[in-house]
Amino acid sequence: MRHVAILALAVLLVAGARGTAWAQAPIEGELALITPVSKFIHDAALKAFAEYAKEKWNVTVKVSAIPAGTPVAYGRIVEWKGRPDADIFWGGESALFEKLAAQKLLQKVEISREVWDSIPASIGKPRAIPLKDKQGFWVGTALEPYGLVYHPKKIQRLGIAEPTEWDDLLHQKLKGEVAQCAPTRSSSSNATYEVILSIHGEDKGWDWLRKLAANTGFFTARSRDVPTVVAKGEYSAGFAVPSYMAFEEKLAGFELKFVAPKNAFVTPEPMAILAGSRNPKAARAFIEFLLSERGQKVFMERGLFPITPKYKVQGPPGSTAEMAVEFTGGVRSYFDRDVSNVYDEDVAQKRSEALKQKFRTDIEATWKKP
Amino acid sequence: MTRLAPYSGHPASASASRAGRVMPALGVGLIWLFLLVFLVYPLARILYDAFSDEAGRLTLANFVEFARDRFYLRSLVNSLVLGIGTVATTSVLGFAVAFLLVRCDFVGRNLFSYLTLIPIISPPLVGVLGFTFIMGRAGTVNVLLEDWFGLTRPINFVYGLHGVLLVETLHLFPMITLNVVDALAKIDPALEEAAESVGARRWTRLVTITLPLTTPGYVAGALLVFIWTFSDFATPLVLGVHDLLASQAYLNIVQFVDRRLFRMGIVISALMVALAVVFLIAARRYVAIKDYSSLSYSKVPRRRLSWLGQTGAIGFLSALMLLSFIPYLGVALASVGRGWSLTPFPVRYTLHYFERVIVETPKYIVNSFLYAGLAVGVCIVVGVPIAWILARTRLPGRDTLDGLNTLILAIPGTAIGIAYVRAFHFELPGVGYALTSLWIVLPLILAIRRLPYTVRGSYASLLLVHRSMEEAAASVGARGWRSFRDITLPLIWRGVLVGSLFSFVTSLQEASAVLFLSLGGWETITVGIFSFYIAGSANEAAALGVILIAVAAVSVIVINRIAGTRMGGMFG
Repeated sequence: MRHVAILALAVLLVAGARGTAWAQAPIEGELALITPVSKFIHDAALKAFAEYAKEKWNVTVKVSAIPAGTPVAYGRIVEWKGRPDADIFWGGESALFEKLAAQKLLQKVEISREVWDSIPASIGKPRAIPLKDKQGFWVGTALEPYGLVYHPKKIQRLGIAEPTEWDDLLHQKLKGEVAQCAPTRSSSSNATYEVILSIHGEDKGWDWLRKLAANTGFFTARSRDVPTVVAKGEYSAGFAVPSYMAFEEKLAGFELKFVAPKNAFVTPEPMAILAGSRNPKAARAFIEFLLSERGQKVFMERGLFPITPKYKVQGPPGSTAEMAVEFTGGVRSYFDRDVSNVYDEDVAQKRSEALKQKFRTDIEATWKKP
Repeated sequence: MTRLAPYSGHPASASASRAGRVMPALGVGLIWLFLLVFLVYPLARILYDAFSDEAGRLTLANFVEFARDRFYLRSLVNSLVLGIGTVATTSVLGFAVAFLLVRCDFVGRNLFSYLTLIPIISPPLVGVLGFTFIMGRAGTVNVLLEDWFGLTRPINFVYGLHGVLLVETLHLFPMITLNVVDALAKIDPALEEAAESVGARRWTRLVTITLPLTTPGYVAGALLVFIWTFSDFATPLVLGVHDLLASQAYLNIVQFVDRRLFRMGIVISALMVALAVVFLIAARRYVAIKDYSSLSYSKVPRRRLSWLGQTGAIGFLSALMLLSFIPYLGVALASVGRGWSLTPFPVRYTLHYFERVIVETPKYIVNSFLYAGLAVGVCIVVGVPIAWILARTRLPGRDTLDGLNTLILAIPGTAIGIAYVRAFHFELPGVGYALTSLWIVLPLILAIRRLPYTVRGSYASLLLVHRSMEEAAASVGARGWRSFRDITLPLIWRGVLVGSLFSFVTSLQEASAVLFLSLGGWETITVGIFSFYIAGSANEAAALGVILIAVAAVSVIVINRIAGTRMGGMFG
């Protein structure tokens, strides 16, 4: 049958390509990511790395990415059972990386000592946010706050002040005007729910979240949709949005605004090499590249912040880096300011299941479109 | 929907030589093997998943959990209500349009018969996105109302179950139209003349004779509309409706972390398959006792409408077309508009998005054509022989073969996608990779999904080739392959081509089944649309959508040219 022949041919081609290519080269000729970090960032990072590899080793690296929300990416890595179809997992909560490491699905990052040491162990008070794994299984790549977004024209029409704090989202006039993603589907939403519970305590925290739900007009299927619907003007404000996603809309020509309120969660965008990766050398080279000045620039020009105190977001007037600084409220580095953080990794992990369950029963099942 | 009846003649293999007997047997065996491995086994696997726990023990616990969860029950009810509601709305529109096109004559009738096909080629996701650009809370209509009439709060046209109903109705009514057009064209005019001769008025004739005669075609279309709506998750997700079975299946499965939710996603998929099968069987039962249509197409003279009637018909069709074209307008504007927000139309225009999808990601387009092409290849290799078995032989298992072929039409794409993930994620002996790690799995699943179109197209043509021609060839010594090549093939190629083209276009449009299977580098246009949308780049998604729409539009025009009105038979 024809399909059998095609199958056999495909198998031969795959096997052939694997056997011969780049046996001698300093890095392999392929690199694949699985990541919740959006295309805007991961495409740019992969492209910059491919150029760098060409310059440095004259190796053409075939780069690709499987875009997947954090839970999906995690689930697929578990399903691969140590024979992954990608080399690197990038983004999401650091706790998930530790869960993967415990299942022996990650290998140690093993980049050069100097690069590793240039990244501080943690940031934030009173709770510390780890920026790299003590055991060496993952390393942070960039800092990114989860804040709120709003459409200035819509806010003006509603006749209210521009929001600056989480509580501003509970304004009566914003009824039906807020967009958010369910914490069961988005790590940024989940983390920000956790932040609210940490600020107010369990009971008052859920009261607060129920009030937010009452103002919510749209539960998006994915966190990335939140800034999109606000930028377009479909809804006036959005909850728990990563800074770069909002900045991407700004660069796309929308008049969206972003605020990281006090205690906004800051993620280090962890990165790890999967156990059984077929391109471990390329994976390691990719991580080292991202932590170099050239790699960090990719982030700094896209609304993210450097992971080490060595660099600051800056550029000539009118550059996208300066635009990003203005967009995120004048922040150039998270290391030259006090970072207030109440998110506690252990507490978050312990009540993670309960949080999702309570969201399902208390909010999702009872929510009615206002 | 009509049961495929064997041509009443001698079994073809009766006079074949021994060698001529072994080869066909082998071929039939391979076809069965193909269906067993790539259709029956994955479906059995997903059903097994639904009836077992993490440890693999058989249990009903999953369904008990489903029945105890009020949110899931609400989703079930909503899905049924939405499906039935869409069937009702599309039926009214679809019948009206079909009747006007087949039985009435008015200015622009030909143009409209092309235009009514257009809504059907709206690619998944993009259509509903386009809709929100025009009808959303910040869409053109609301912005105009706010700017001109001082509306303070936008009207919610789309976000909610009513929005899903609206979008699905405008997308799917042509399915009913096509099937009813086909059925109307098959009605023997003598029946209506007889009614007229005994004094039945036009309205009475319509209700008592014409409509009942279109039942088989109509039921086929209605079933497809129902299944489509029932299993579509992209539209509700864009419109923020999560309490539907399809949405829940999708959302539960794409979050892999919570194994319990993941299993519930599979359970819901299995439930959707089961429900689809029940509706399919019910529809077949109903139709089997009502199948009065003749196989031949008859020409009924069209009634020239009065001036008033023409105005009404043209007005109705134009209004419908205008509504149906909203998604296309929205998509077209979004594909070239930059930073479009709170203005009726984009203020700044750019070709950047097209540039990006054509220059940076030609692989989407290449992959789509490669996979759809291979899929059609498989469809022809497997589907034409199946059609031949159904039309020309009395082989045991014919009915099952026919049933399986129809079953495919009823299986939700998400469910079969998941079934493949569950069924083929093991290392193939001697290969070292699982089938799910090889891109060939995509053309395979597309081939299975679209097989019925090729089979039906070929089958319909085979029925029209009279047996006596093949017998004549046999009488001068041309047997088996020779007679097939020289006699049958030249007569049926048109049907095979139409069926294959249909398989091709619908393969290009397929998203739900391939979404879960696609790995980096395998992306098709539809997967690209999803990943751009998911990445927040609705404009690039729209640009890819425009390309897909253009390709599909050309294909549909070609199909329509070749097939004429017989296109409806494709869906039944």
